[in-house]
Amino acid sequence: MTSTLRLLSALLAGTAAIAATPALAADPIKIGVVTPLSGTYAGIGQQVRWGLELAATEVNAAGGIMGRPVELSFEDEEANPSVAVQKAEKLFQVNKVDFLTGTVNSGSTLAVGQLAERAGKLIATTVSFADSITADKCSPNVFRVNARAGQQSAALASWLAKEKPQAKVFYLGPDYEMGRSTVAAFRSNVDRVGGSSLGEVFAPLDSKDYTQYFGQIRATRPQVLYTSVAGTDTVRLFTQLQEFGLLGNITVLGASGTVTAQNIGAIGKAADGFVTGVGYSAEIATPENKRFVEAFKAAAKTDPDLYGADSYGLIFAYKAAVEKAGSTDTDKVREALRGLTWKTPQGEKTLRAGDHQAEQTMYVVRVAGGQFKIVSEIPGPDAIGADTCTKF
Amino acid sequence: MAVLDYLQFVLAPQMVTGLALGVAVVLVALGLTIIFGLLDVINMSHGEFYALGAFVALALGSIGLPFWLLLILVPLALLPIGYMVERGLIQRVFHGGDRHVTTLLLTFGLGLVIEDVLKLAFGPNPHRPETPISGGVELLGVFVPNYRLFLIIAGAVVIAAVAAVVYRTRLGAMVRAAAYDRHMAASLGVPVKQVYAGAFAFGVALAGLAGVLLAPIYSVFPTMGRDFILLAFTVVIVGGMGSIAGAVVAGLFLTQVQAIASLYISPVWTDPIVFGIMVVMLMVRPQGLFGRLGHA
Repeated sequence: MTSTLRLLSALLAGTAAIAATPALAADPIKIGVVTPLSGTYAGIGQQVRWGLELAATEVNAAGGIMGRPVELSFEDEEANPSVAVQKAEKLFQVNKVDFLTGTVNSGSTLAVGQLAERAGKLIATTVSFADSITADKCSPNVFRVNARAGQQSAALASWLAKEKPQAKVFYLGPDYEMGRSTVAAFRSNVDRVGGSSLGEVFAPLDSKDYTQYFGQIRATRPQVLYTSVAGTDTVRLFTQLQEFGLLGNITVLGASGTVTAQNIGAIGKAADGFVTGVGYSAEIATPENKRFVEAFKAAAKTDPDLYGADSYGLIFAYKAAVEKAGSTDTDKVREALRGLTWKTPQGEKTLRAGDHQAEQTMYVVRVAGGQFKIVSEIPGPDAIGADTCTKF
Repeated sequence: MAVLDYLQFVLAPQMVTGLALGVAVVLVALGLTIIFGLLDVINMSHGEFYALGAFVALALGSIGLPFWLLLILVPLALLPIGYMVERGLIQRVFHGGDRHVTTLLLTFGLGLVIEDVLKLAFGPNPHRPETPISGGVELLGVFVPNYRLFLIIAGAVVIAAVAAVVYRTRLGAMVRAAAYDRHMAASLGVPVKQVYAGAFAFGVALAGLAGVLLAPIYSVFPTMGRDFILLAFTVVIVGGMGSIAGAVVAGLFLTQVQAIASLYISPVWTDPIVFGIMVVMLMVRPQGLFGRLGHA
């Protein structure tokens, strides 16, 4: 009797050991990616995808996260919040992902953030600019590792104050959360540094023709045009500005995402002279960044832009947090992400515990001869702005 | 002075750019209305043929062919593609029970396929061909870029030429006869099958031509076909399915409505106005402003 019991328990222990160890080792950590793979923002989604895939490959080659490989599942959000919610729901419920990222459209990030709260999962955006995501509409389940509109504007305004004091500025943004937020953020910074605002206009996302707004721009005769359109919209706006001879006497400033590696080729000469405040540039001359740019180019045949770099960095933040927490459990990873400082190609970033916004060094970048050149650098604490999140 | 300023800097340029956009929309709608009027097929892949034209122009332009040659070469290149699509795909479902639904679904699927093939071949990022004519002129104090002026004139010429072919030539008469009564036309010796395929190919070639003409202004990317397609369908519905005159009148009218309305209200709201006009039109005059091409 005792021998049978002993045998049985030994057998049980054996099978348990066999079942447990390899299963734990091979069981992948699933990261869902809801990002635009078609439409106006397809080029942005492509950068997100390249950045995440490169990071996942490197993490897996080095033994994964706690010995578990990272597995990415992609879904196309079409830069449309209602599509993003459906695809995120599928990734949470059907694919049972541990973590979700990739949303580009700020509306998508806000909508998927609410879904994550209900599903008890964490998400992070590596792209969305709207300040509200880590301010008045902040969520305990949403993190942002890229620079928000306020950080970009603070950097850009410091350049404006130096180069074009008392500038007269006109604003043109896409008519949704991101456009309204970036224009409001830059406008308040222009007021702060003593410039004046002549007017603002918001065009629908995916506009064919921006020339219908040029009348208002001409009539107010601005020195500076600030815009936060992105993706293929920028190509059209700049082409049409050039066509109508407006680029000659107006300096164009913009959001980080307005002109990037993914659309500068198509914009061509019209991009020359464009200035932006941004959290990343392929020009950053650190060894970490040079290694990253080389690896990225080898995989994607193009330079990384802010989206590719911020998405790449996110995987390492998640890896650090899961290893610190010793688990993929939502509450434990959230605690580990709060206040986390980790290394990225663009230097160290810190996720502020109070609003889940990453603090990072900001750069002022100017386009000359089709190349981005870093003009100045603003330390992270000077750009991040106040923590206005009151939800947690 | 303020009033003059307003006219010169705001209203007049708005109407001129609206006119250029109107010509662009009419060019896209023209092929659509011809295919519907003659074949009774709602071509949901029309926008993707427009994109295909732009990409073929991009590819040929990159090997050094001049823009002016492309204006002829690209429509010619799309003719056989359109012809084969009609004979190989559309004819297979054309005689089935519910022609409108099956051809609509078929062309919709074809559009998705073309869009993805373009994405695989050229990548998702936008491309921009150089504007073939740079600079601009001032007409009565209104700045008009030379290329937009060219677009308006070239568009008018193309529209006039298409109308002349359909209404004034023997070929056009055969096409209209085939559309009006297929069996009678066949018994009178009109090669109906070839006429159908030819008319479809002609519509596709027109979409390709629009792609070449508009690429320098609106840039080239795989999903560009979606840009004009809703507006083009609205133009065809308001103008009268199959009517060339209707497409011209409705296209110019609706784009002027958009252009002027966007001065006074948020541009986001111009779409509801345009589609609202379409809904009202469908309620009070479902056949549109003008009758159908085949039944005129």
